[in-house]
Amino acid sequence: MLLKNKYLEEQIAEYAVKHKENFYRLAYSYVKNADDALDIVQESVYKAISSMDSLKNPDYLKTWFYRIVVNTSLDFLRRQKRNVAVGEEILGSFDFGAVDSYGDFDLQRALDNLPEKYRTIVVLRYFEDLKIDEIAEILNENVNTVKTRLYKSLEILRVKLSECEEV
Amino acid sequence: MKDKNLDFLKKQYLHTPIPEELDSVVKKALKDGSEHRMKRNKLIKRTSVAAVLIVVFAGVLTVGINSSPAFASALEKVPIVGGIVKVLTFKEYTVNEDRFKADIKVPAIEGLENKELQNSLNEKYLAENKKLYEEFMAEMENMKKEEGGYLGVDSGYVVKTDTDRILSIGRYVLTVAGSSSTVFKYDTVDKKEGILITLPSLFKDNSYIEIISENIKDQMRERMKADDGFIYWVDVDENEEFIEPFDKISPNQNFYITEEGKLVISFDKYEVGPGYMGIQEFEIPTEVIADILVSNEYIR
Repeated sequence: MLLKNKYLEEQIAEYAVKHKENFYRLAYSYVKNADDALDIVQESVYKAISSMDSLKNPDYLKTWFYRIVVNTSLDFLRRQKRNVAVGEEILGSFDFGAVDSYGDFDLQRALDNLPEKYRTIVVLRYFEDLKIDEIAEILNENVNTVKTRLYKSLEILRVKLSECEEV
Repeated sequence: MKDKNLDFLKKQYLHTPIPEELDSVVKKALKDGSEHRMKRNKLIKRTSVAAVLIVVFAGVLTVGINSSPAFASALEKVPIVGGIVKVLTFKEYTVNEDRFKADIKVPAIEGLENKELQNSLNEKYLAENKKLYEEFMAEMENMKKEEGGYLGVDSGYVVKTDTDRILSIGRYVLTVAGSSSTVFKYDTVDKKEGILITLPSLFKDNSYIEIISENIKDQMRERMKADDGFIYWVDVDENEEFIEPFDKISPNQNFYITEEGKLVISFDKYEVGPGYMGIQEFEIPTEVIADILVSNEYIR
């Protein structure tokens, strides 16, 4: 039992180290600043290791880990909206995060403006190259819902882009 | 055309700059998570390269009552408008290089009738910030010998409350080195009497520690119940395993008094919850502490 746990922990640790940049980019795509993205990665990895008992089947390590990162990011955004902590606002101006260098691109803006549940699917499918059923697993949705949302996202993106081009 | 656009977006996505501290953050989290699992009592904390900077305010500050001659003369140059107590920036230290940034603003109180108190506070602020600056410079010199690394310090102040009677001034230190850390410290002054208000001085006896702590724990549970995103180191029900829980406030816990005369207890980042929770404040309903207050002079 203990040995099995030890082995699982090593697997998780190895996965975290190997895919840390994926997790970071994913977190960054939500919060758009380096410091918060680092906090999210830290929190996710910490959660993964400390609650590894919730991983019932090691075959699901990948989707389980992505799910933690996605949920931690969404939690972070939700909290940020109604954060009662003072002080942080003042400190927010002191931002060492990388500047969003592609903010001017219409295409990027169109993606960023997608509702969160659509944008996440686009990011996971096309940028992280995950399969539809993996995404369904991560988001705890059924495969058809994911497919529908993905097509819908592409449609929205395409419409927005053609609008831009017409103007 | 769809594919071309997606390729472009993917390229942008993959070009997200990766901070070099990512690796150490992940390793630290792995270690913390593992220790937590083993012991179930390890606080989540990212130590940073510049941990030394964060400790600054934790140290005991011995401050002479008499200010240095240079300091006194600098303050004298500030025109004092009759009887008005003000807080202004006395001095600013800045460093602005690629990998090293510091912005340290030293506050100074002026216009207090009790000059001894005023000088001792001002000298404390100067000493704290001078030390912060010197440590920053030393750390910077060290890091310059190495290739990578980033070091940032932002220190300044906010006037939380400024009424006829009360002045609450908060100083913060934000350090960024590997990760960020924020520390807030408050001083609350009775302008009329010219005294520094401490937390114990507000209460008849030490029972305030328990009473306030219990109230804060209740507030934490309520906030956690209301929002999944809120996490404090406090047990919600018996079944839940928690890490080194928040037990009680320290006798001299950070606090300030609002304009409405309410007591607010403040916790630094990491103190009562995971790092992303940031600084946390709890306003203590006056009725909870009414029985043990020395008077309603400050808190109503």
